[in-house]
Amino acid sequence: MDDTIKDFEAAIAELESIVKKLEEGDLPLETSLQLYERGVQLSRFCHSRLEEAERRIEILSERGQLRPAPDAFGEDDETKSKVKG
Amino acid sequence: MTSLFDLPFEEPEPHALESERVTPAPRRILTVSELTGRIRVHVEERFTDVWVEGELSNCRLWNTGHMYFTLKDGGAQIKGVMFRSAVRALRFKPQNGVRVVARGRVSVYDAKGEYQIVCERLEPEGLGALQLAFDQLKQRLSAEGLFDERRKRRLPALPRKVGVVTSLEGAAVRDIIQVLRRRYSNAHIVIRPARVQGEGAALEIARALSAIGKVPGIDVVIVGRGGGSIEDLWAFNEEVTARAIADCPVPIIAAVGHETDVTIADFVADVRAPTPSAAAEMVVARKDDFYARIDRLAHRVTASMRMRLHRFESRVRTLEARPGYTGMRGHVALRGRHVADLTHDLGHAIGGRMALRERAYQSLRLSLETFDLRRRLAHVRFRLIEADGRLSSATAQARHRADGQLRGAAARLEALSPLAVLGRGYAVCWNSERTAIIRDATTIAAGQHVRVTLARGELACEVKSS
Repeated sequence: MDDTIKDFEAAIAELESIVKKLEEGDLPLETSLQLYERGVQLSRFCHSRLEEAERRIEILSERGQLRPAPDAFGEDDETKSKVKG
Repeated sequence: MTSLFDLPFEEPEPHALESERVTPAPRRILTVSELTGRIRVHVEERFTDVWVEGELSNCRLWNTGHMYFTLKDGGAQIKGVMFRSAVRALRFKPQNGVRVVARGRVSVYDAKGEYQIVCERLEPEGLGALQLAFDQLKQRLSAEGLFDERRKRRLPALPRKVGVVTSLEGAAVRDIIQVLRRRYSNAHIVIRPARVQGEGAALEIARALSAIGKVPGIDVVIVGRGGGSIEDLWAFNEEVTARAIADCPVPIIAAVGHETDVTIADFVADVRAPTPSAAAEMVVARKDDFYARIDRLAHRVTASMRMRLHRFESRVRTLEARPGYTGMRGHVALRGRHVADLTHDLGHAIGGRMALRERAYQSLRLSLETFDLRRRLAHVRFRLIEADGRLSSATAQARHRADGQLRGAAARLEALSPLAVLGRGYAVCWNSERTAIIRDATTIAAGQHVRVTLARGELACEVKSS
């Protein structure tokens, strides 16, 4: 991932400031082009971060080991209702 | 008789009696009001905040909203009053015969010569002891600064891994998972199971918090349980739990019981959630909302960029529409057609002569042809120069009218329109650092590198000549 972007929050904040600058400022062409490209980069970063986390549930054991949670901890509602019922 | 009244209630110490006999105090007669006043001051200063347990009797709620009652045990009784505002906060219905713990101050009612307890809080016995422990711990931790607002950390907007400390048997863990899944389908959840009620639960919660805080990537932790009695929730009112929350390296959301349950854990945590489901909602916004927000921003970036380009373009078009510029364009078009005609003639001439002479004279004729061609070329060139000269003089005036502003605009258009129309095959040439657009070939020497932006992708190029 692009290391000029600190994290998701920072990316959104920067994107907001870019929008503001582009909408308000009377910037030279080069500057606005650079801002535009940065904006595209930031929004791509945000999209990928939203998809990044793994759909996973793990249990941390007494001994500090991570193992997958039993299915009972519900991947979806159907599985869950079966377990409950 | 009077000396009898002057005596204290209890038997005085013998030596005190001795000294009084030696120097008897001057007689000082008080009025009943004075005496009562003194008693009141004495009592009210002494008993500003007491806890007392006893059995409720004569309990009556007046239509003013105040409640009057008597508290008694085997050997004594005391009258009590609870004012309307305190009555409203009661969490149980006081009834005669119920053993209670009351908290309040003692006051004296001069007119009747009675003293009574003015009750701030009243609870069924058993709860009172827990309440006392709660209040004392709360006060101590608060004095230590554990509840300070500036200690509170902000939750990450988009957590990478969500830690959960609760019982695997309770409803809380399922509620949390369900809400997280619904809002942010690919959430990564790590659960550290801990018993949340009963003997030793507080210690288990504390150890679980310490363990989960060390898992790499976890950037927020939910600790809590579903609703229950105050005893059930007690593990969250213990000091070891409070300290573990305070010591956790990542932000913690406490979600204990229902909306109305408040525990020490809630005060120490960075954020308090009314329920476990609400905690999960606080952890992450809806994924769709995130997308919508980002896309809205991205759209505004694109829209404002497009508007900016259009503004440049329309400025240039306005300038182009001026008579001076239009005239010049007409001449340019005319010249273009002229050149095309000449080129056609030339091609024709070359083709015809070549064919003719090749057949007859081979190599000698070829050199003659070259000579002849040169002459013809010279002629063509002359005509071209002539045409150009005519054009120049015709448009000289127009050119003068196309002032510096036009030139500036045209220059900008040169830089700008390729960007707008990259898709049609134009390209933008940047310097190698990509900090400026190259407008002038003379600013680049052979051997230098440039970057060329195409509709799709970019080329890194080396300049062969300029």
